[in-house]
Order: sequence, then C-alpha cells, then structure tokens
Amino acid sequence: MAALVWVMTGLALWHFTIFLPDRWWSGIVGAFLGAVIGAFVFGLVISGFSVPGRSDTHLITALEAVPGVLLGLAVVWLVGVRQERLGDGARDGLAPRR
Amino acid sequence: MSERRRNLFVLLLVLGLIAASVVVAVARDTKLGLDLQGGVSLVYQAKPTKQQPTITQDALDRAVDIIRERVDSLGVAEPSISRSGKDQVEVDLPAVKDAQRAANQVGSTAQMYFYDWEKTLLDESCKTNPDQVDGGTQQIPGFYSAVKRAAKCPPFDAKTTTTSSEPRFYGFDKAHKPVNGGLPETDQSKLWQDQPGGERPAGAEAIRVPNGILIVRADRPTNPDGTPGPKPDAWWVLHDLPALSGKDITNPEQNFDQTTNEPIVTMDFTSKGKREFQQVTRDLANRGRDNALPSQRPVDASQHFAIVLDNELVSVPYINFAENPDGIDGQSGAQISGSFTTQSAQDLAKFLKIGALPIRLELISRSQVSASLGKQALDQGLKAGVVGFVIVAAFLLLFYRVLGAIAVGALAVYALYFYALVKLIPIVLTLPGIAGLILGLGVAADANIVIFERVKEEVRRGRSTGAAIAEGYKKGISTIVDANVVTFLVAFILFILATAGVKGFALTLGLGTVVSLLTAVLATQAVLLTLRGTTLLRSKAALGTGATSDRERWHFDFMGASRWFFSLSGMILLIGAFAIAGKGLKFGIDFEAGTRIKASLNQPVTVDQVRSVVEKQGFTNVEVQTLKDPELGKNVVQISTGSLKPPQVNRVETALRRSFGLQQSSSDSIGPTFGKTIANSALKAILASLAVISMYIALRFEWKFAVPVLIALMHDILITGGVYALLGREVTASTVAALLTILGFSLYDTIIVFDRIRENMPRMPNAAFSQVVNRSMAEVLTRSLATSFCTLLPVIALLLFGGDTLKDFAFALVVGIASGAYSSIFIASPVLTHWKEREPIYRARHARILAEHGAIPAYAVASAGGPVDIAPSKRRRRTTADPAEGVSQEEFEEMVSQLGVETAPVVAPPRAQGQRPPGGRRARAAGGTPGSAEAGIGDGEGDGPKPRKPRNKSHGRPR
Repeated sequence: MAALVWVMTGLALWHFTIFLPDRWWSGIVGAFLGAVIGAFVFGLVISGFSVPGRSDTHLITALEAVPGVLLGLAVVWLVGVRQERLGDGARDGLAPRR
Repeated sequence: MSERRRNLFVLLLVLGLIAASVVVAVARDTKLGLDLQGGVSLVYQAKPTKQQPTITQDALDRAVDIIRERVDSLGVAEPSISRSGKDQVEVDLPAVKDAQRAANQVGSTAQMYFYDWEKTLLDESCKTNPDQVDGGTQQIPGFYSAVKRAAKCPPFDAKTTTTSSEPRFYGFDKAHKPVNGGLPETDQSKLWQDQPGGERPAGAEAIRVPNGILIVRADRPTNPDGTPGPKPDAWWVLHDLPALSGKDITNPEQNFDQTTNEPIVTMDFTSKGKREFQQVTRDLANRGRDNALPSQRPVDASQHFAIVLDNELVSVPYINFAENPDGIDGQSGAQISGSFTTQSAQDLAKFLKIGALPIRLELISRSQVSASLGKQALDQGLKAGVVGFVIVAAFLLLFYRVLGAIAVGALAVYALYFYALVKLIPIVLTLPGIAGLILGLGVAADANIVIFERVKEEVRRGRSTGAAIAEGYKKGISTIVDANVVTFLVAFILFILATAGVKGFALTLGLGTVVSLLTAVLATQAVLLTLRGTTLLRSKAALGTGATSDRERWHFDFMGASRWFFSLSGMILLIGAFAIAGKGLKFGIDFEAGTRIKASLNQPVTVDQVRSVVEKQGFTNVEVQTLKDPELGKNVVQISTGSLKPPQVNRVETALRRSFGLQQSSSDSIGPTFGKTIANSALKAILASLAVISMYIALRFEWKFAVPVLIALMHDILITGGVYALLGREVTASTVAALLTILGFSLYDTIIVFDRIRENMPRMPNAAFSQVVNRSMAEVLTRSLATSFCTLLPVIALLLFGGDTLKDFAFALVVGIASGAYSSIFIASPVLTHWKEREPIYRARHARILAEHGAIPAYAVASAGGPVDIAPSKRRRRTTADPAEGVSQEEFEEMVSQLGVETAPVVAPPRAQGQRPPGGRRARAAGGTPGSAEAGIGDGEGDGPKPRKPRNKSHGRPR
C-alpha cells in the first residue's frame, strides 16, 4: 500500500512541473520518470528497503515521498541541463564558416 | 460490387440475421449463472498428499474428473466445473441449497478400495457365497431395491471403510426415486433439507442401512468406440471388507501387452500392497481352482478382484487360477488385460490414478445465493439494461435526430443479436455479464457518435449530406477500429487472466464490441447510404447540424490552459494519495479472507441484538449492518466476520433462525488464498493490458503517443483509487473489473483525440505542435464529450437500478470514465505536446512563429503559415460525380492557402545555383529573415521560396 501512496504522490507532484521551464532530460516524460521513480526509491530507502503494508501506511507515508520526488526531479533537471549544454557546444562546432 | 449492391447485400444480411436471431431467441433457453438463479459456488485449491507430493496438471485434471463424477451423481442440473489457475477448481452448482453438504460431497478426497469380490458379495438373504462366481447372485436393478436389500442385512463390523463405518439413511420419495442425490446421511433429518420447507414430503421414505454394508453401483458398459457408456441403474450389495486401498498401489498406467500388443492397464504396489495383493489373489486362485468343474474353462470358473472408486465399481478382473495358481506376486506389479480399447484402458488407468494418487481439495471460497436473491439480481440487471437503452436512445435522438433514429434502430438490432448469441453459444449470463452487455450498448452508441460527429463536421464544411455521410464513414472508421480493437484487447486479457466473475463480464464486453462493429458501422452505413438521396436526409437540421457552419467549434486554448488542469489533477491526486495513506483502501472479502452472511429475518432487530447472537456462538470481530432490501424481506442484516468454515456458517444461521426467525440467507466465504489469487490475477491483467495497449498505440500511431496514454491511464486508475479511499467505498472484485474497463474506455477518448492529431499533423506543415493539438481538440471535443457522456448514461443506469454488485461496478466506472474523458483532453494531449515540441522540427516551427508573432497563437492562422481556420465563405458548392471524392469549400480554401497561390506575391531573393539559403534552419528558427515564413508559405523547414508552376484552381495540382 505504501508503494501505491509513494507513486501517487510522485505522480501528483509531477503535475506541477508544468510550471517550470522544460529543461528536463527527455522533457516532461523524463520529469515524470524522475518524480515517480524518485518517490518510490526514496520511500524504499527510508523504510529500510521494505514496502510497509496496509497497517503501517499512514499520512506520513505520503509525505515521505516528497523529498524523493524533489531529488528525482533535480537529477532529471541536472542531466537535462548538462545535455543541453553539451548539445549547444556541438551545434556551435558545426556552424558554417564565414 | 457497386455501392448500391453492397448496401443491399449488407441490409439483406442484417435482415437475415435478425430473422435468425428471433428464431434462436425464441427456441433456446438462457443459461443463468448462480448469481441470477441461486445456488452454491465452491472454489477448491488442490493440495499435495503423500501419494501425490506435487500438484501436476494431470493430477488436477483427474481431480476435475472425479468432481464431475460426483456432481453428476448429485443430480444437479447444468453444473459448471472448471479449472482456475494452476491449482484451483471452481464448481458451480445451480439450485443447490446446502452449501456445506455440497462442499463435503464434492470436495472429499477420492476413495478407492479393492475387494475379494466373491468373498464379500451378498445375495438376497445377505449371505456370501465365495464358492460361486459372482457370489451366485445378480446385479440388483434399481437403487431403491438395492437399498432395501442392504437394509435387511445385519451390521458387519469387520475392517470397514469410512463410507460405511456408521449406519446411514437413504431417502426416497413416494415414487421410490432417490432424494438428496442418492447420497446417504447419518442424520435422517438432513435427507429432507432440499425438500420444500425442509420437511419430509408425504409418502417419502428413509431407509436405514446398517454399518459395514456397502451399496456399489455396477460398472459402466463400454461403448463400441471405447468410450464409457452411461452409468447403469444396477447395484451390488457387499460386505465392506476391502483387501487393499488406493494407497497400496503405485504407478497405474495404460500400456500395451508386449506379446499381443493389446491395450492393458498396469500397476505396481507398495511393500504392504505387494503382500496383501499376493494374499488376496492367492485366495481367489485357490477358490477358483477348487470350485472349477473339470470341463470348465478357467475364465469361466475364476474368481474376481473388484476395484471400487467412490462406491462405484470400476473394474472386476478375474484371477486366472491356471496361470497364477499361487496368486499374483506383486513384486513385478500386475496388469489388467481383456477386451480393452486404448480409450477404455486409459479410462481405467485414470480411475486407478484418481484412487492411487489423490490430491486433497481444500475449500478456499464458498458462496451461496438464494434463488430469490438471484431473481432479484436478474430483475435489477434487466431493469438497468432497459433504462440504459432508453436513455442512450433518447440522447441519440436528441443530438442526431434522423441519424440518431437510425442509430437507435441499430442499437435495437445489436441487443437482439447479442441476446441470440448469448443463447446460441451459450453464454452463462451472470450479473457482471449483464454489466458487460449494458456497457456494450455504450460502445455501440459510441461508434455511431464518432461517425455522426464526423458527418456533421463534413456538413458544416459545406458538403452535401450525401457526401458528408460517405466521407464521415470513410474517415471515422479508422478511429472506431482503433478504439474497438483496444476495448476488445482489454476484454480478451480480462477473459484470459481474471477470475470467473470477471470473465463473464469480459466475454460479453468483447463479444459486444465485435457485434457493435457490424450493427453500428456496417448496418447504419448501408441504411444511410441508401437513404442519402431522399428528402429525409436532405435537411441539415434533420442531422442535428445547425444551419450556420462552424458555430459549434470550440475556440479554447487547450494547451495554454493545460497547466491549470494539470494543477487540478495534481491536487486531486495529492488528496487521493493522502486519503489512501490516511484512511486506506477498504478491501472487500474478495481480497480479505472473511465470511459475509446476508439474512432476512422474521422480526425487526437491532444491530446489537444480531451481534450479540453471533458473538454468543464464539465468533469475534463481527460487523453487522442493516440493509434496506424490500425484495429480500423487511428485516435484512449483513454479518461480516473472519473466515468461517461451512459448519460455522450453519451455526450462525441456526442461531439467527432460533432467535429471530430466518426467512432466507446467502453467504460468501473467501479464504486468504483466494483473495491473493484475485489480487494477483488483477495485477497481471492490468500490467498485460497496459503492455498490449502500449504496443498497439505504438504500432498504429508512433511510440511517443503511447507514453502519454500510459500516463493518462495511470492518472485515471489512481484517481479512481483515491476517490474510493476518500469515500470509504469497498474495493471488490467488481471494482477490479471496472478498473480494467476504465483502461479501455479512457483509451477510447484518447484515441479519438490522437487520431485527429495524427490526421492534422501532415495537414498543418507549418504549425507548432500545440497549434496542431489545439485545432485537433477543437474539432473532436464535442465528439469526445459525446462518447464519454453516452458511455456514462448506461453506467448511470447501472448505478441507479443495478443491485449491490452492479452498483459497486458502476461507481468505479463513473469515476473512471469521467476521469478518462478529462485525462485524454487535459493530460494525455498536453504531455504529448510538451514531448513532441522538443523534436527539432517543432522547435524550429515554435521559434519561427515566436519570432514572427512574439507569441505562439493558440490556433494556426494563414498569416503564420498554418492551415486556415477561417469560416468558409458561402459560395456555390461545387459538385463532383462522386460526392465522397469531392473537396469541400473549406478544404479547397485550405489547400489554396497552404499552397500560397492567393496570398501576396512572394519575391524570392536572388540566389545562385546550388547556393543554400543563408543562416540555415537554426538561424531562421532563432529569428533570422526567412522569406517564406514571413510570407506564410513554405513547409516551415526553411527551404525558402521556390518558383511555382501555375496551378489548376479546381484541383490544386500543377497544370
């Protein structure tokens, strides 16, 4: 049940990335993956690599996913920015000679 | 084939099928499931035994065979016995009232015993005559006579089997026909439980058979083709003194005799079995030899070794005393030979295996529905179906008028075909099946809506109604095929992977999808094309299209507003996540082990009174609810507890009967294993559906279209889950079926939108992707909303008029379909837009339009190089020989505009031969001075203007 809550929180917060400039690795889909995977992995880590069952799932479980979402999004963003820079460099090198 | 002939052929086909359907509907009976006619449903899980340490498919098949034999002997009409998953067997017994007894009789472990035939067989005076072949007696014709003879015998207290360890009672009606399926009861009163009022009928008789006396049915004859013949109504009475049991034999199998090559059955023995087998065969051989006359052949004088499985004689081979004077040494096994065919030898080997390698059957789910509850459920389902049909018909008539009337006719034909198919196949109609049928109405109506909206669109573009109908079907068919294929695939996956109740739904939904293609597409097309020249279809108003073209087009910046809709979805999901985390999902007993008893009582009771009575029986954690169910009775209560065994359920029912007077009751018991099975199968079905849907979308569209679809589906399912948690509604097996259906329906909407995006992409070669999507959305939004609304109508009928099961199902569908319509517009399309706009081609267009206008207009306009979105001028409509081949006024304007013929003359900058335009694509995208983009012509890729040949205005092609 906790896994469902983490993923759902990740998906919910991902919706708000639409307000940010699209510099994600693989765009909005990359942000989606970052948010959902980040939420799940972080939840798993702080739960000691086990998924809490129904009786161990509380409101706090949803909050536990938030740092994971932010971390996941940050990673995707940084990779995206880095790729953008590299891409710009490559294009600069291919400019026609004047 | 000309169009007229084709239409005539289709209409004749439809009429022929109508006639055939009427015949089938009248001539055949409808098979109702247990939930609609009452009865007992049992699910067994096979467990290993010492003899059969692993559950193989072969062992499970044998278990199914023996269950079938037992059910047949119960005399249940139209039972259903099927394997479910790797190790489960589901048994449906219509009209059976006592679930406990049925469970005991059907699921007991197979009992096989071997008898010294002549030594145990009893004659008319209850004496054994071991010196005579067959004990000097004959088969007893008729079960009543056999029981009467057995009743006369004194008790026999030797080494008896469990079957006859106690005296038993056999019941017979006044015509001497056995009651209770011919099965004995140790408690005489239990014989009459299935009789009206549970009382012994007038003239009925209970006959007591003493312990140690066994009544065995004679062996079945073999048909000439080797298959077993019918069970004979002939019986033997014997002392229950077995020489060996099924546990004493090993490796029974069909083989071929090495010398004669004839089919035989071989078996081996355990060490104990070897000794006992040698002993009994030695006795048989000695007696045979001693009693044989000098001229008598050994085959005629030999004595017999009887094999009895579940009190039915399987085989009675003789022991040839001439060949085996000292009996048969069991060291190297034994073989049974004779006039076997391969088939009959295989059958005997199968029976020996059933006895020798039994598996234990553990009851993991038991549900019982009373006949009146079943009837009530059927009435509710039919009522929901009729109401669903009426409101869908009303909607179609209101919005599409003449077209709608034809669609309603097609719906009626659909319902008739479907009803006939249900009877013809036959499909066992269950409540979930009725839900599938009602949803099928929505699917059939959706197909018509997709086409009718397309027809209306063509009419608004200035086409004649005839041309619009032809064009509407031509363009709409791919959308319908895509959407129906996806719905069909989901239904197929459900059918393969889901549990029995959901299978019924999947079967009717899948079948309905196929039938709807025939009625909603082919039949309506033939009718409309036949009528298109008539006055009936000449008026635009008759089609539900206003006189003013374009008046219904949406001009909303869907992509611009998507961030706000994203935020709304995000908030809903966040609330859902907190609801699931805080309140949790309330799983029904389908997932949690437990028992639910629904009972109507004679007197009014409070919840506490009922709880107190149940708790006095020693059960804790009892939840009691009072229900309003006038058709079931005045005082209906529902009791939920932990998982109870059948006798415990009976205890509760007896306590209720004593305390309050019990009119009728139904119960469901689900073991923990069964709940896990349902959850696992649901998870598998969801994952498989998502995989298949993704593959289909990737193949039909492109892979980038599949990802937004998956995100939107995830959105819909999670929102539905969140709503369930928020409202505290129970998640049942029906909810899972509904979730899977949501996958299909959500996709229906998304496919409608994506199909138009795919169509518009090449038609708008200069537009930003957001403009392509906005335009596509504006064109199909009405259609998308109409299909969702039309699907919602029958679902709402289910919600209002269906029984408890259907209401659960309908609630999940209402949430899911609403969410699906929303997500296809505001989630899937924006995600696709954002993703596609990262592609270099759309980046370039985006940058170019931005450079030209300072912002991206919501809709592409002629000045921005996109297709014109202007209203068509009211010019004389051109006609062509075939209206379907023609080009509408607006399309013509679009072509002209795209080709740039009527725009301001463009002066191409002088350029040397072979010289590329300055700046390149990136420079122009970044705000360079592209000539073509400014002028609104070109392909948007920066190829620059080219000298154009003069064009033929009529066709837009170079002269």
